[in-house]
Amino acid sequence: MVDAQYEMMCPAIAPIFGYFGVIFATVLSNMGAAYGTAKAGVGIMKAGVLCPELIWKNLIPIIMAGVNGIYGLITAIIILNNIASPNVDGFRVYSLYTGFGHLAAGLSCGLCGLASGMCIGISGDSGIRAFTQVDYMSKNAPRKGLRGQTASKKKGGGAESVFVGSVLIQVFGGNLALYGMITAIILTQTYYQCEDN
Amino acid sequence: MSSSSCTGEYCNAGWSEVLTSMSPYGWGSMGLAFGLSLSVIGAAWGIFLTGSSLVGAAVKSPRIRSKNLISVIFCEATAIYGVIMAIVLNGLMKKPEGGIENGSFTDEWNWSSFYFAGYGVFSSGLSVGLTNVASGVAVGIAGSSCALADAQDSSLFVKILIVEIFASALGIFGIIVGIIQSNSCQFPYDVAN
Repeated sequence: MVDAQYEMMCPAIAPIFGYFGVIFATVLSNMGAAYGTAKAGVGIMKAGVLCPELIWKNLIPIIMAGVNGIYGLITAIIILNNIASPNVDGFRVYSLYTGFGHLAAGLSCGLCGLASGMCIGISGDSGIRAFTQVDYMSKNAPRKGLRGQTASKKKGGGAESVFVGSVLIQVFGGNLALYGMITAIILTQTYYQCEDN
Repeated sequence: MSSSSCTGEYCNAGWSEVLTSMSPYGWGSMGLAFGLSLSVIGAAWGIFLTGSSLVGAAVKSPRIRSKNLISVIFCEATAIYGVIMAIVLNGLMKKPEGGIENGSFTDEWNWSSFYFAGYGVFSSGLSVGLTNVASGVAVGIAGSSCALADAQDSSLFVKILIVEIFASALGIFGIIVGIIQSNSCQFPYDVAN
């Protein structure tokens, strides 16, 4: 490789972009997971005071938010495996092209994970409270609800359909992080190594 | 991006010159500092979130005091992750024993590994630190809701503790990434003769 071309393709600053991709993948998707866990956790507390036995079912938003953090971890490990350190004699093989690809991969996985985690948290919080309230109304107050609503005449007061609806919303919200991770994995396939002659 | 495309005191040749003009020891030390301090910020945030709810709820239900201290311990664990990372990164940054003549590096100094290691340690510390901020806040909010639920109904404590366990797993993800990252960073400390 000609020297000037080598300096352009594989400069010393190339790893910084790859490493920032790792940072964004880990940090942003875990921030989304943390937001989802915290928001839904408060909802579980409020609902658990009303109906303690429903908590196991209400843990679904927490699990889905935690999965977003795992997506970030997987993407970070894939990127880290592809960041090649320099040779023993100091020749750099990690190219700027690969570095920018890894930065894009980390950003796409991280920001999508952040959005998905926030979505799961907010919708999971409301879903938990709604499901527990409908269940409480059908069991304890068959005619009048907490604010004067009447329980549905369906069997079980319609709690099952509320639960299914809330889980569906969270699944659609969790898909967003999956889109980001798929794009990130495709981006990490970009690979160019500088050759030593 | 080539080395000397402009002359004069106030121009620089691009990002390459900007990012390489800070010494890799500087990058590494900043990463270490950010890793530790951001983890401690996350832990502190979580502790004040859970602690204030805990003592507030304990006014009416004093029985929750000792059991709910476990939430504070979960938050402290994120600070411990930062300390572990700082110790690991500190062991990586080696003082140069050879390869220095008259106060500057010799020609055979392995600059590529030097910069690579500096960026790696910086990013390792930043990954751990920022993830622990998120994890600490989440554990704090979950711990606060755990204390309030326990004050109302003591059978809820174990169930809501599960939420806190999921939240503290996020800090573990951060330290896993940080340790894998720091494995490939080798600061050169001598020239090969």
